[in-house]
Amino acid sequence: MLPRKPMLVTMLLGILLMLLVPASAQDEPTTITWLTLGWPADYIIEEFEARNPDINVEAEQVGFNDLFAQIQVRLGAGSEVPDVISVDVPLVSGYALRNWLLPLDPVFTGDEVEDWLPAAVNAGSYEGTLYAAPVSTSTQLLFYNKGCFDRAGLMPPDADDRLTWEEIAEIAPQLTFDDDGDGTPDVWGFIWEQMVRIYQLQALPESLGGDAIGEDGLTVDGVINSPEWIEAFTYYYNMFNIWNAAPQGEEFWPADIFETGNICMFVGGPWNIGRFANNPDLGVEWGVSRHPYFADGEPATPTGSWHIGVNANTENIDAATRFVHFISTGEGAELWWRRPGGGDFPAQQSVLAMFATEAEFDELPMSYMRTAADEATVNPRPRAVTVGFLEYEQILQNTFQDIRNGADVEESLNLAVQRIDSEMAKYR
Amino acid sequence: MMPARQQIIPYLFLLPALFLLVVFNLMPTIATLFESMFVISLRSGERVFAGFANYNRIFNDPIFWKSFQVTVVFSLLVNPIQIALALGLAVLINQRAPGIGIFRSIYLLPIAVSLNVTAIVWGLMLDQNSGMVNGILLQLGVARQPFLHSVDQALWSIILIASWIGVPLWSLFILAGLQNIPPPVLEAAKIDGANAWQSFTKITLPLLRRVLAFVLVADTVANFLMFAPILLLTSGGPQLSTNLIMYETYRRGFLYGDLGASAAMLSVMLLIVFIIVGIELYALRGRD
Repeated sequence: MLPRKPMLVTMLLGILLMLLVPASAQDEPTTITWLTLGWPADYIIEEFEARNPDINVEAEQVGFNDLFAQIQVRLGAGSEVPDVISVDVPLVSGYALRNWLLPLDPVFTGDEVEDWLPAAVNAGSYEGTLYAAPVSTSTQLLFYNKGCFDRAGLMPPDADDRLTWEEIAEIAPQLTFDDDGDGTPDVWGFIWEQMVRIYQLQALPESLGGDAIGEDGLTVDGVINSPEWIEAFTYYYNMFNIWNAAPQGEEFWPADIFETGNICMFVGGPWNIGRFANNPDLGVEWGVSRHPYFADGEPATPTGSWHIGVNANTENIDAATRFVHFISTGEGAELWWRRPGGGDFPAQQSVLAMFATEAEFDELPMSYMRTAADEATVNPRPRAVTVGFLEYEQILQNTFQDIRNGADVEESLNLAVQRIDSEMAKYR
Repeated sequence: MMPARQQIIPYLFLLPALFLLVVFNLMPTIATLFESMFVISLRSGERVFAGFANYNRIFNDPIFWKSFQVTVVFSLLVNPIQIALALGLAVLINQRAPGIGIFRSIYLLPIAVSLNVTAIVWGLMLDQNSGMVNGILLQLGVARQPFLHSVDQALWSIILIASWIGVPLWSLFILAGLQNIPPPVLEAAKIDGANAWQSFTKITLPLLRRVLAFVLVADTVANFLMFAPILLLTSGGPQLSTNLIMYETYRRGFLYGDLGASAAMLSVMLLIVFIIVGIELYALRGRD
């Protein structure tokens, strides 16, 4: 039955419609979403919003693996949010190829571009166009617990020493202690911070002269199953399975158990320097030395950076590019670098220079940051440049996890070749 | 003869369900079949008709076949195990025994917890370094087991997790079937001198045929579509030993953006499920 009061119905409908139409955009600040990792983003957002009251930034923070999956699913579906995304730099070419990122050349002046490390600009560009602005870069050092060395009666290395992997293989089992005698160590000798990631492990075969990918950026047969890779990952296998000096099982974040004294050495990023230096409860006496290398090879250090890009489908181009500009250049970049608990390597040369001039880095342990700054110049090896980096990295991640947990090295690397080949087929 | 108006009424009642079936089952299926005929140009995002190119690609892809093989092995193991255990459990809880009421409530608890939560909790319990299961094994003098990290044990661990929920769930249906068997039939058999085993195989099982057919079909489909524990616990590893086809489909389509290949795999899977379910229904068809 129809209602008898059409007037009332019209009025109600009118009110409903008014509720549905958004309030005038001019009074409200524009809100943009930044899809990023779990670092302290609030700090930089507050600074940015204080200078740009017309923009609201909401950080959507997710874990490492989730970030890649979310970008893939959401940008792949053509969604207009998130407006801004943090980009792990080897993924830039894949994203750019699919037109997911807004070209950023008009956003930056020539001086701003020149201030970035040239390698970072290159890595953030695809076919000559900048798609992701450099924010930070990285290197790796050996962190160790001095107490473990004392307990084993060994001398810890100096900050400028560079141990060989062969020496690590000798020391690590001596720093592994099974205190309760249950057959499983309670204190482990060694681990890689990102224990199954190519970012960190690529330095192993590269120290032996191996490559990361074929020259066409797609071929892996004969590259990731080459003798150099097999030798490097046999070393890796032995660390977990033969010398029993490193823990198997699920992935974890070694700094957490380094702080409790249950890991004696790990190769990790300089972000740990700030973390350990600023931890008043840390009961561990620690030090750093240079990134290890194979005695028969040459030193090679991992490098790679976080960039920031704008979703090509965003409805807030102006607000999104202003935020990206802020965090990647000048004052904003410096603020990001100085964020509490930071400790990244800035990708801006002007900010990088502050390591040498700031008094904060004159004394131990913060002076280790200067060691790291210097280490970043020693044969830094970026990750493979390929449009299929996501597939490449995730399949290798599975592969390293398998080897770590006891799978045969050659068999695993050959399976990885088969899997990567099968994924790369669509790019050929 | 009913008047025409009355003949329509049952269909009107069915309409909402039919509508949902079309929107949530039929349309996505057709969309998938359609999608499997297209490739999306990576550069322009344009959809190009490709005929059977995606099928051709996956049929020549060793990873697809490996995943197919894992799915078949998984199904051949998990379905008989779950149904046999569910049947045993149903017979057990159909008994009248003191305290059976308490047991009947407890055994249903796994169903009340979502598969995702179950998977994560089992993942923690099976952890190599700090898992409870290894703690118990160590107390018993058994060495630590890698479980989800071992090529030989990972698929079995997934079967365990799937059955943790599956067995009580399916036993519930079988129990309903058991309670539908008229007691006089069983009593008559007893009077005729049948022992417990004879009355179970000659009377209970045949009368359960319809329920078992439903359970078998539903269980087969559910296990073919097994996804969450793989995503949460193994990502298809180690060495692709748990790479069930649903996970491979998800990885291709949503992680690596290859929707065409993903849709082709799903369509092949759909066809296979169709055939298997057809065979199962035929084998268990009622002769009464």
